[in-house]
Amino acid sequence: MTLVKSSQFRKASAAAVRSPKIQIALDRVMDHFVEARAHALEEFPPESWEQMRERASAIKAQTLENLDYYLDLVDRNVQRNGGQVHFAADAAEANRIVVDIAKSVGAKQAIKSKSMVSEEMGLNQVLEREGIEPVETDLGEYIIQLAHETPFHIIAPAMHKSREEVSDLFHDWLKTAPTDDIRQLCMIARSALREKFATADIGITGANFVVAETGTVVLVTNEGNGRMTTSVPRVHVAISGIEKVIPAIEDVALFLRLLPRSATGQRITSYNSFISGPRAPSDEDGPEEFHLILVDNGRLNLLKDPEFREALKCIRCGACLNTCPVYRKVGGHAYGGVYSGPIGAVVTPMMAGIKDAKDLPHASTLCGSCRDVCPVKIDIPKLLLRLRQREVGGSASERSSTWTERLLMRRWRSTVLTRAALERSASLGRFLQGPITRRNRIRKLPVPVLGGWTKARDFPPLAPKSFATIWRDELAGDGRG
Amino acid sequence: MAVAKSTEPTNKAEFLQRVREALGRKEPLLYPPDYPPLKSATIRQEEKIQTVLARNAARRPRLLERLAENAGAAGWNVHRVWNPEDTAQTVADIAKKAGAKNVVRSSEDVFKPMDLDGALRRARIKPIVLASSRSRPRADLTGIAFDADMGVTGVSYAIAETASCVITPRRGLARITSLAPPVYVAVVRAEQVIESLDDYFALVRLQYQRTRGRGVNYANFISGPSRTADIEQTLTIGVHGPGEVHLVLVS
Repeated sequence: MTLVKSSQFRKASAAAVRSPKIQIALDRVMDHFVEARAHALEEFPPESWEQMRERASAIKAQTLENLDYYLDLVDRNVQRNGGQVHFAADAAEANRIVVDIAKSVGAKQAIKSKSMVSEEMGLNQVLEREGIEPVETDLGEYIIQLAHETPFHIIAPAMHKSREEVSDLFHDWLKTAPTDDIRQLCMIARSALREKFATADIGITGANFVVAETGTVVLVTNEGNGRMTTSVPRVHVAISGIEKVIPAIEDVALFLRLLPRSATGQRITSYNSFISGPRAPSDEDGPEEFHLILVDNGRLNLLKDPEFREALKCIRCGACLNTCPVYRKVGGHAYGGVYSGPIGAVVTPMMAGIKDAKDLPHASTLCGSCRDVCPVKIDIPKLLLRLRQREVGGSASERSSTWTERLLMRRWRSTVLTRAALERSASLGRFLQGPITRRNRIRKLPVPVLGGWTKARDFPPLAPKSFATIWRDELAGDGRG
Repeated sequence: MAVAKSTEPTNKAEFLQRVREALGRKEPLLYPPDYPPLKSATIRQEEKIQTVLARNAARRPRLLERLAENAGAAGWNVHRVWNPEDTAQTVADIAKKAGAKNVVRSSEDVFKPMDLDGALRRARIKPIVLASSRSRPRADLTGIAFDADMGVTGVSYAIAETASCVITPRRGLARITSLAPPVYVAVVRAEQVIESLDDYFALVRLQYQRTRGRGVNYANFISGPSRTADIEQTLTIGVHGPGEVHLVLVS
């Protein structure tokens, strides 16, 4: 799996907080997203938005519980429409399927519309190795492809790049004159990509939804690159995680109301494509071949766990990123995986293994804001807490706590469970904290293991008298009479 | 044989079995899940559609207002016209104003009652009907669309709720005509306007059931100009698709 450098979260997040460039970018974008969403929701009375979330959440839950049935339905209907469905257990297998299709039509060049699953797969590197040039066509994805980076934000992949950096990238790769005019930069990308659109042999997209009843891939875009990718080349390959399935075509209305409002604050995006197969013999345009690749790549780890199954309801709107006090400060790259922010902190450890991403469940203040904005009502804070529990107390393969930590925790437990022990250790603490307390703060705990706690924050010293003592000596006495 | 199993392609049965086991089951479901929308029979759908269409017809004047209002907010330039000849003239005026030298269009019924090509020619603009024929291979047509200054198509529906024009396969290359040129004009007849996304998908479902799945494999909503905010969150229109879009509403 190309997923995770998430073990680096602590270091990477500290660096991001200190980077003026990243802070400027986050300040510029985050509030904008939050305000746009809030504005878009004003159209509904709060209770009807709430009802929509409830319904979407219930539909997703029902679909996931019967996912084998719905995947089979997708396969049968896409086939009936003249397309082909492929099932891929992991990234390697999905990559192989794409490469085989590309080679079968002699493709030298593949144009791509945004696909997070293909990021998981590391598809671009694989295509390059096979001599097929992958070209990202979403403007943000195109920029980060030129920069050899990963998406910074799920719906704004290049939000961390300034116009100067974009201009430099275009200058380096396309030999265009430097400019600080954003419109000009967009037009440079337009003409560079037009050539690719006109000549590419194969178009690769993700899928925002896959409708089981009709075998329809739904794409939600704003630029028009998705339509180019699915209209001009001879072959269209859509890659989707298995969790993107929704049952009925009428459900699309609900999800199309929730997704753009939650993501960009739009009532609807500029384009929505509904693709159920290759063009019919009577159609005059559209691809001759249509393939849908349904990818597991760690999703069954979430599905088989009743506690975590709900994380698969995610429709990838990014609202939880925009509202998260941690994401808003550290940005996407610190998370180290394809999916960042609160939902990334849940799915990355579950897909890649808790041990490899053990810092991520801690990248949260548990404030609950992500849960409040989630259009499918995923209880992300609860899941983050569960992950923390597993990390310290789970099976040997999951946990990453050291034996000293576990020993300390056991001692802590036995101490707080009896009043006598608690009071004894509290008075010992009061005695020991004297020399290290300055201005009613302990800056640094000079003890191994516990010292880690004060690396980034102060420790509050114990009060001179405990509440129990005050109660006994000063308050309770008279009151009783 | 104990060859490395991971190199074997996963077949469907095996894949679905793994999904099933993740869900704690060994066997496929005996009955489809109890999900009412999937069960509704064609006859009930037909009735529902009649109700939907009657409701839309009864509210038409208000629907047109709502479409025009939402379209304006979504970045469409809205033109209301009342007869075919005015429609042709309006489209030609748009082309002239945009400085178009040539205009591609699909060939469909909506253009039959009007002399669009004549109106364009009078404005010294070259009309090109983008439809495939034996003499013109598809690649050429794509090239023509990419070089054109403006594209004009009809629509299947226009959805008032979201100001979406729905493009489905039709005579001529509507898919690329509505996408590649920098200016796009959608010609919408009043009776094609429906109220909501729900109404639209109810119609799609009925069509799918009636044709037993042999319906259309493609539909596209166009709900405004092509836009991006990928550089510094600054809205820019016309990045890959048309930056200027017109909705000509014929009542």
